[in-house]
Amino acid sequence: MEEMPIKMEHLLHELSVLSLAGGHGEAAGFSLTNYTFWLIAAVILVLAFFIAGSRNVKLVPSGIGNLAEAGVDFVRNSVCIDVIGPEGKKYFPFLGTIFFFILINNLLGNIPPALPGTGTVGTTFTWAIIVFLVYNGIGIKKLGFFKYIKSLVPSGTPWWLAWLLFLIELISHMLRPFTLGIRLFANMYAGHVMLGVFAAFAAIFIEHLSPASIAVVPLSVIMQIALRVFELMVAVLQAYIFTILTAVYIGGALEAGSH
Amino acid sequence: MELIIPNTTEMWVNIVAFLILFVVLAKFAFPPITKMLDERADKIRESLEKAEDTRVEAERLLEEYKVQMAEARAEATQVIEQGRKVAESMKAEILAKAREEAEAEKVKAIEAIKAEKSAAMAEIKGEVADLSVAVAGKILGSSLTKADHAALIDKYLAEVGSLNEN
Repeated sequence: MEEMPIKMEHLLHELSVLSLAGGHGEAAGFSLTNYTFWLIAAVILVLAFFIAGSRNVKLVPSGIGNLAEAGVDFVRNSVCIDVIGPEGKKYFPFLGTIFFFILINNLLGNIPPALPGTGTVGTTFTWAIIVFLVYNGIGIKKLGFFKYIKSLVPSGTPWWLAWLLFLIELISHMLRPFTLGIRLFANMYAGHVMLGVFAAFAAIFIEHLSPASIAVVPLSVIMQIALRVFELMVAVLQAYIFTILTAVYIGGALEAGSH
Repeated sequence: MELIIPNTTEMWVNIVAFLILFVVLAKFAFPPITKMLDERADKIRESLEKAEDTRVEAERLLEEYKVQMAEARAEATQVIEQGRKVAESMKAEILAKAREEAEAEKVKAIEAIKAEKSAAMAEIKGEVADLSVAVAGKILGSSLTKADHAALIDKYLAEVGSLNEN
């Protein structure tokens, strides 16, 4: 068991941001990292899938066109229209990009030895910041800058309360990109840590065969399988949550003026 | 803590990834798909509406045919009824005419018989008169006066007439 800390350190090192050109963290400079390598693979997959899918749409759907349509239909109806309303259709390209990017990254990360492109804050914060800029941009475009800022506080609030409310609202808005980014990152990262832990258990108990191995090894393998299935669910769920929250933020920005 | 400090390279890669994905998907990949989804939805809606219209039309036609059928049947019954009436009236007419003709025939025959009879009577009367005069002349051997003749004739005639009546 004394190997466990070493294995854990090794695992966490593998899951940290590593430059493919060598070096660690910021020192990596402008070279691809282990995460961005798989991220680019996922982006290529998304593009290939949708370009192939969009060339294959027929009135009677079939094959890859059908799959692409099902995905598009899901995001457009269950996210855009259900959350934002009929005008949500307009924001489908943005929300669809987010959803399919995150979904394919999450799923790809589930196939060893790939890592999820979304398993690093470099990705999740960037996308969360893009969401923050876009939804506020939508609100500002609709109401104008000052009116949009004013709309953070419900009209008719007494001035001494208005300031307090404004501050709370401002903080809550500022926190949104962090919560969005951390939620996705933590889910993907933690999933891989869990998988790594059980893999390490199995490895150690196979290397040092002991009576305990009889119980621990099969259990670890079963946990691996169960966690893989669980991770598939998490992959889809997190993509959905990120997208639906984005839709909620956009819907909120659009509704801001109507109070 | 290093875990939640984003790597700037990764951020740049993500910004580029977002831009490429968004532009390609929004410009080239999504529009054909959403267009097809909308088209299909329209097509299905249209087809359903059309089917509904067709159904309504079919029902209307069926109703119309039913009415026409009923009308035709009623008309046919009427025609048959009328035909029968005509036939009956024709029958009655023919019968009446036949009866009338028969009646006329009969009357004519009776007339003819009567005429024959009176002619025969007149002839017999003449014959009897002549005969009786001749007989009387022979019996009496004398000639009778005209007045005697007439009286005798009447007497015989009366006798003959009463015989005839029996």
